[in-house]
Amino acid sequence: MSSAISVRHLTKDFRIGIRGLKLRAVDDLSLEIPRGQVYGLLGPNGCGKSTTLKIVLGLVSATAGEISILGHPSATSAARRRTGFLPEAPYFHKFLTGRELVRYCAQLSGVAADSVGAAVEDALGLAAMTEAADRPIGTYSKGMLQRIGFAQAVVHDPELVILDEPTAGVDPVGSAAIGRMIHTMRDKGKTIVLCSHLLGQVEQVCDRVAIMDRGKLVLEGAVDDVLARRDRHVMTVEAMTPAARDAAEAALAAHGAKVTSVTHPRRSLEDLFRELVTGSRDA
Amino acid sequence: MPNMKASLQRTLWISRVTFLEAVRQRFFAFLLVLSAAMVLSSVSFRVFDFGHGELKFIADFGFGGMFFFGSVLAVVMTAQLFFSEMDNKTALTLLAKPLSRTEFLLGKFCGAWAVLGVFVIVLASLLGLVLWAREAELIALAEQSGKIPATFSAAGLAEFVLLQWLRLGVVTAIVLAISALARTFLFAVVVGSLAVVAGQLQWIAQDAVLKPSDSLLYEGFLWVSCRLIPNLQQFNIGDALVLGSAGVAPGAVAEVALSGLLYVTAYLCVGSLVFRRREI
Ligand SMILES: Nc1ncnc2c1ncn2[C@@H]1O[C@H](COP(=O)(O)OP(=O)(O)OP(=O)(O)O)[C@@H](O)[C@H]1O
Ligand SMILES: [Mg+2]
Repeated sequence: MSSAISVRHLTKDFRIGIRGLKLRAVDDLSLEIPRGQVYGLLGPNGCGKSTTLKIVLGLVSATAGEISILGHPSATSAARRRTGFLPEAPYFHKFLTGRELVRYCAQLSGVAADSVGAAVEDALGLAAMTEAADRPIGTYSKGMLQRIGFAQAVVHDPELVILDEPTAGVDPVGSAAIGRMIHTMRDKGKTIVLCSHLLGQVEQVCDRVAIMDRGKLVLEGAVDDVLARRDRHVMTVEAMTPAARDAAEAALAAHGAKVTSVTHPRRSLEDLFRELVTGSRDA
Repeated sequence: MPNMKASLQRTLWISRVTFLEAVRQRFFAFLLVLSAAMVLSSVSFRVFDFGHGELKFIADFGFGGMFFFGSVLAVVMTAQLFFSEMDNKTALTLLAKPLSRTEFLLGKFCGAWAVLGVFVIVLASLLGLVLWAREAELIALAEQSGKIPATFSAAGLAEFVLLQWLRLGVVTAIVLAISALARTFLFAVVVGSLAVVAGQLQWIAQDAVLKPSDSLLYEGFLWVSCRLIPNLQQFNIGDALVLGSAGVAPGAVAEVALSGLLYVTAYLCVGSLVFRRREI
């Protein structure tokens, strides 16, 4: 089966100003995104992540290179029917209510007329937006905007979901919820591509990552392979006295092993935050 | 033809939301109230000759207001509806769906045109009411004095509404074509307004074409501008229709309507060709 997204030697130059100065946003990028996984696209601001996703979706044209999406050579309407997209910093028609927006998106995405209602309720439920669905979007908080954006991206049950910074501006509890939504989608066999600057979350959520810098790919691989340092080991020990530590070090040294550092494990601020706080009011 | 049907459906949904957006904006309500007040204020006009002159004056005044405010609405609102999608990046969400750019542009057009239809119908109904009331008064006066006043024709008014609506449709299509190319709202509004003015003056170029000239370049320029810019004046057979004074040639209305539809189609084609290449 073909990959969900394949990008070959993609280059994008933006012309800026009247003099037509060129700005290279993506530079000879090649990527294969396999199906059925959560794929993270990382990199500093302005490295070309959003531009790459827009080219894949056919919203921006490539200067050079080829893409294919779900086996289609370009983002044809048949390919886009099987794809959901949440743009970065999403902003929706603020004069619509959340439910109206999701319904509108379902209709445009070609959901059959008799199943639109059920699809809308499912998507709102998945994004935990059922309660606020009848409020105008103009009154939503940032986190709610992201979640309604998630709902409109998945309402037509797409095979491929592309999320550009789904957790920007969302509190840790909310972004953990978005992480769970992503896993729910993956367990249904969907492919999810996401950009994020929250590395901790990417590490938890993604199966594979690619890191870009200045439009170029600098690293790509499965998260476990990329992060594991197979030549080092960590042990967590309770009730250790100085004498016990010396004995342990001596025993290890007898086998040629060497202790290089001893520290106290720390819990993450995120874990602490989640222990103390119950949830946002919007959730 | 299931594809065709789905495509029409999508266009319809886009236009529905566009219509909703326009109607929920204050700008539309403001212009509607302003121009309605203008039409209604013509009740107070009293011209001395009690007859055709007065009804014509009221009608001209109403048509003028309808055209002026209608054009402002067609230019500013259409550009606004287009650029609100671009600038707020909502177009990004929509165009990532299985929706073609042509359907998107056509949806915007139909939505804006529907709003203009509401505008024209409301104003024309008010104008009809004023004309009808004044006519009744004038007939009563005429019976006393023995003069025969002009009568106004409701069917003519209906035809006129249709023509005005088409004229505003042509303006909307031009503005959309310009917006598809333009980077900013302001540029689209300025160039769109210039296009309306050019359309109003197009008959001058058309007259000039008929006169022989020795410069080929000049003739070529005139010929091109006559084809490129629609003659917006040709829709102005308003008082002939409504007051039935000067006779309207039988095919004239159909001919004008046909040319209007052709211009709408042509500008929408150009617009969607340009829009297809636009980076969102
Ligand atoms: N329409 C445009 N015109 C000109 N330059 C652009 C355009 N869109 C993006 N760029 C430039 O292309 C580069 C890549 O932008 P892009 O939005 O893809 O970055 P990103 O990786 O998504 O960054 P961030 O993490 O901040 O979202 C940036 O330098 C940006 O200034
Ligand atoms: Mg980005």
